[in-house]
Amino acid sequence: MMATSLPKLAVPGQPLAPVSSHLSGPGTHIHGGVICASITGPVIVDSSQSKPKLKSVLSVSRTYSNRNTAPTNSENNNNLNVMPTPTTTPTAAKAKLRYNTLPVVDSMVLTRVTRVQKRQATVSILVVLGGTVGSGNQDLAMSTSPNDNITSILTSAADPENHSSSEELRFQALIRKEDVRAVEKDRVVMEDMFRVGDIVRGTVISLGDQSFYYLTTARNDLGVVMARSEAGNMMFPVSWREMRDPVTGAGESRKVARPF
Amino acid sequence: MTDRRRINGPPCGTRPPVFAPATGKAAESPKRTRRSNELRKIFLKTGLIPSAAGSAYLEIEPARPLLTKPLIARSSALKLTCTVHGPKPLPRSTPFSPNLLITTHVKYAPFAARRRRGYIRDASERDLGVHLETAIRGAIIAERWPKSALEVTVNVLEAEDDRWWGNVSGSYDASWGMMNVLAGCITATSAAIADARIDCLDLVVGGVAALVREEASQKTEGHAVNGSPILVLDPDPSEHRSIVSTCVIAYMPGRDEITELWLKGDALEVALSEDDKRSGHEALIDGAVDTARRLHSVLTAAVVESGERLFSAMTDGTWTKDDNGNVEMKI
Repeated sequence: MMATSLPKLAVPGQPLAPVSSHLSGPGTHIHGGVICASITGPVIVDSSQSKPKLKSVLSVSRTYSNRNTAPTNSENNNNLNVMPTPTTTPTAAKAKLRYNTLPVVDSMVLTRVTRVQKRQATVSILVVLGGTVGSGNQDLAMSTSPNDNITSILTSAADPENHSSSEELRFQALIRKEDVRAVEKDRVVMEDMFRVGDIVRGTVISLGDQSFYYLTTARNDLGVVMARSEAGNMMFPVSWREMRDPVTGAGESRKVARPF
Repeated sequence: MTDRRRINGPPCGTRPPVFAPATGKAAESPKRTRRSNELRKIFLKTGLIPSAAGSAYLEIEPARPLLTKPLIARSSALKLTCTVHGPKPLPRSTPFSPNLLITTHVKYAPFAARRRRGYIRDASERDLGVHLETAIRGAIIAERWPKSALEVTVNVLEAEDDRWWGNVSGSYDASWGMMNVLAGCITATSAAIADARIDCLDLVVGGVAALVREEASQKTEGHAVNGSPILVLDPDPSEHRSIVSTCVIAYMPGRDEITELWLKGDALEVALSEDDKRSGHEALIDGAVDTARRLHSVLTAAVVESGERLFSAMTDGTWTKDDNGNVEMKI
């Protein structure tokens, strides 16, 4: 077995193992019968326990999931209530392999609303939460640029005055009127569903055209997760279609995501 | 293209004129004291620009320390920064692309060279950008990033001289300094791309070699006989009176492939010493590959440092790229 001679940290171009012993996974490529790393990162061998006959997948990870220690940023996760805690073991054999940090069909994303029109809402993607939806076993496969500091994005995001110049560095997406909810699709009024500045959780239904991805919020757990009222206060959800300002007590209508 | 929006300073340096005939040490043109196959030390560090997805800073140590105070300034060294932004969405006007689109910009700072540069990129800067793009395009696995763009910006803070400042008088032959700048750009960009975690086939390294003709007076026994040029690695153009030809390559050591080759000067007719039957071109390319191979270890160390920095940032629970030096790997 080659696993003993694998380096902990691989650099691009570094030969890792022959194709006869492993399968090439994300972050690697094959050159001349040898699996080579294509990004910098820790080398991960994922042996699928269910089918012992298959060769184990060799990949170079973009993230470091701390396997031995409990997640140190757990309090952040609980506060925000929007992202699952990082899994400690490599994903089960079912999970799709991800070769990049871009959104793919079915990936769950956190977005900020930038424009609301009659037929659609334009949002910009802040974070791509990896993995397939609904499996409680989600890897946080987000890109690692400092723009993606989740805590700072989300605390600043719902603030309408904070529209940083990095907006055009983010991928854009559309939520069409008929994708907002599953029932009474023809009665949807976009202004009552989203407002500019809201943080919306959605899933990708299509990679779309050259400039926009297409999202849907037509599920109970999808929709607005954070919003500010007209008075500028953070609102709390009271039902699936209403959020309330704790200071003024005024309610505003939104397509609210089911709070966990 | 002229810059009409700003009040530009004089195009040349504002060094006060020196009329005294330079004698003694000051008038001596610098000589190469390294061996012909010895490289200058380089400094390479990644992740210095926190707002970029990936960044690198490269510096080449000046060949001679400033011990005496000559009237004519010592030769300059190379200092440059490289930033990589992306993968980011395509600009609005661009049609759909299943691959990663790469754009490169190389810009000299106005104070980078002895001759002042404008704020708008001139022809040579655009030329360097095109060369840099071909060099990295061959190394990147573009199909892993559909619908996205990558922007590479190199800012040259200090550029290498084209010749010794002392005998500048009209002897314009070629911009040899550009070749060293391009090699530096390639190495720094490679480090920045690895820092941004864009998939690539290998770390691509820039290497330079030159054929130079030594003057008769300083010839030593070990060197070539009358007039036949010798091969030097990592040449400093200010140290050589006459450079016959220079070659820059972008080289991937892991696969022994060249993604970019730029040769300046006339090396076809050149005959090397008797025991070396290679043509001038072959010798130059071999020399440049040799340089790149040796720089590869520095590049690898810088990229490993980038990986360790990310590791320490992630296990601290913060997502910011802070600089806390070398950290033990604990996975």
